[in-house]
Amino acid sequence: MKHGLKWETLLRSKLFWAVVAELLILLVGFIIRPDFLNIQIRTLEDGTRVLFGTPIDILNRSSEITIIAMGMTLVLALGGTDISVGALVAVSGAIALKFLRWDVLVYTTPGDYTVMPFAYALLVPLAVCTLMGLFNGTLVARLKIQPIIATLILMVGGRGIAQIVTNGKQFTTQYTPFKFIGNGSILGIPLPIIITLVVVVAMLVFVRRTSYGMFVEAVGINPNASRVSGLRSGVIIMIAYIITGLLSGISGLIYSSRIISNDSNNAGLGYEMDAILAVVLGGTSMTGGKFTLMGTVVGSIIIRTITTLVFYFGIVSEAIMAFKALIIAGVIVLQSEPVRRAIARRRERRQMNLGGELHA
Amino acid sequence: MPEMTAKPFRRLFKPNYLMVYATLGIFLLLYLFGAVMYGGIGFTSLRTFLLLFSDNAYIGISAVGMTMVLITGGIDLSVGAVASLTGMIIAYGTTVMGLHPLLCIAFSLLVGVGLGLLMGACVQYLNVPPFITTLTGMFLARGVTSLISRESISIKHPMIDALAGIKFYLKWPNEAGEWVKIKPVASIDLITIIFLAMIIIGAIILQKTRFGRNVYAIGGSVQSATLMGLPVARTKVLVYGFNGLCSALAGIAYVLYVKSGWNLALLGSELDVISSCVIGGVMLSGGVGYMWGTLLGVLLKATIPAIITFNGTMNSWWAKIFTGVLLLLFIIIQRAVVASSARTARKAETST
Repeated sequence: MKHGLKWETLLRSKLFWAVVAELLILLVGFIIRPDFLNIQIRTLEDGTRVLFGTPIDILNRSSEITIIAMGMTLVLALGGTDISVGALVAVSGAIALKFLRWDVLVYTTPGDYTVMPFAYALLVPLAVCTLMGLFNGTLVARLKIQPIIATLILMVGGRGIAQIVTNGKQFTTQYTPFKFIGNGSILGIPLPIIITLVVVVAMLVFVRRTSYGMFVEAVGINPNASRVSGLRSGVIIMIAYIITGLLSGISGLIYSSRIISNDSNNAGLGYEMDAILAVVLGGTSMTGGKFTLMGTVVGSIIIRTITTLVFYFGIVSEAIMAFKALIIAGVIVLQSEPVRRAIARRRERRQMNLGGELHA
Repeated sequence: MPEMTAKPFRRLFKPNYLMVYATLGIFLLLYLFGAVMYGGIGFTSLRTFLLLFSDNAYIGISAVGMTMVLITGGIDLSVGAVASLTGMIIAYGTTVMGLHPLLCIAFSLLVGVGLGLLMGACVQYLNVPPFITTLTGMFLARGVTSLISRESISIKHPMIDALAGIKFYLKWPNEAGEWVKIKPVASIDLITIIFLAMIIIGAIILQKTRFGRNVYAIGGSVQSATLMGLPVARTKVLVYGFNGLCSALAGIAYVLYVKSGWNLALLGSELDVISSCVIGGVMLSGGVGYMWGTLLGVLLKATIPAIITFNGTMNSWWAKIFTGVLLLLFIIIQRAVVASSARTARKAETST
């Protein structure tokens, strides 16, 4: 009896279905290319040993989106949206490279070279992105502006700011500690994966060990009721946007370190869409309320797996969007209210039929 | 009697119009600034003014449909991708498949309207939030465009050239009484005409038809509209269909403007369209907005890059920052208007 109950809850949990979807996609990949799931240890030129293989690559490349999506989960659970994250990624990279630039002027003295102490290159971008998150949060929570419009300001203006910071130039850097963020590895595990793990664990602890997560769900389900019952919903909303800003900054550092350069036009382009998709695929509803951070992680991995798989088919990268669209369309139709209600009704009827048979 | 004459005046000061006036005021200020600074090098010429229209016709045409969607309280992120798909269909059809352009244009209009209706049905009947539905539509349209071709296809067809070449030159009589072209040469081209025609059609639909009143009613409150027995479902789906038509027309205008189809064309233009509407006083919470406001919003947003071009020393990215600042300004104005009208409503409630 107890076992049956557990099975029911498992079937109803959205995280379970997200994992099933991911496994199915991996299975498809495995059938097409048997070496899809292989992981091996390779020794690089400088003697470090690195894990190598498609699954590692998927985890590695999904880290930027996963990190942003952690904050986006909270924002969506509060019934908001943040579409400025892509621009913040560009801002973060631009500021970091501003401090690290290894441009034409110093090209004659190659080697590790920074204009400023390395800590600035990490802390200033994160501080600026956090402040931008605070700006978004203030507009949404204090001025009660629609989130999509409030964050549209920085989405449009942010890339302009990123270009002003670097005066429209693209800097490159060869500074080893900075390269290490996106390209290095510890114990064979690529550093972006470790950073993502730290961020996810920190978020899980913050959300579930403090009462913040419960407050978010309360405000997301009914803002008025929670305000009346004494929750300071403004502060809760603001914290979510500040966290998203900070996480976008971290993601921007990883991105710019990967390409050891800044790219104000293309860095983080479309990240807001991918992050929102990761959250929705993971099972958090766009309309606010209950959220699941682990589901978001799986959602982000699903997106990256699809991308990798489509690359294997040899399909052009822009066309991936069409595949993404079809999969998302499937998920949102299944998640939509009328379809869910229809399924529930069918199950009810079947159970009633069963009950009738028993009586007969 | 005095009340009768005062009424139209009071109507002009409706708080809903205030945002349109703000747009008009800031547009005039910005234009005046440009005239004072760069009047000597031709900023005030009719040519520059008309170029504001023709350079932004595709944004403006799309903004007509977007205004309607925003008034119902929805949003459409797919407009740029659908316009790009339209351009690609026309380019691929005429250049690669050798079909007649009119056939391709008709087909692309059909695709635009079909996608719009489909997304509207998803929003209405499946209860999927418009943001997610149209995001999916954007991915789908962009992906299909890329599947058709990754390279930019240029269009070389006499009919497209002829359509793009339609120009009505502005003329005035000279001393001898002959009509000559004004200097510098200014002309109204086909896409400007389509743009203005769509604005007028949109305004008539919104202000003079039952459909338009339903649109405002749904934006005000879906529940009230349903309880009043208005055809909410049909209106909503049709609004998205109309927006699809506008996106396709915007794509056609873009094709006539650049004479090529490209899978990454108009990337991110949906945000230009939405911000034009917001600057024009359309409220994203629904229920408030005017076509004339949107027209002014498009013009105001177009004036910023024009001034930066005339300046010559400023970098193009300043346009992005100024647009961001403008958005912030208008959002705060909207906020103030909403707060003041809520206050008056409350006052009226307590006094009765």
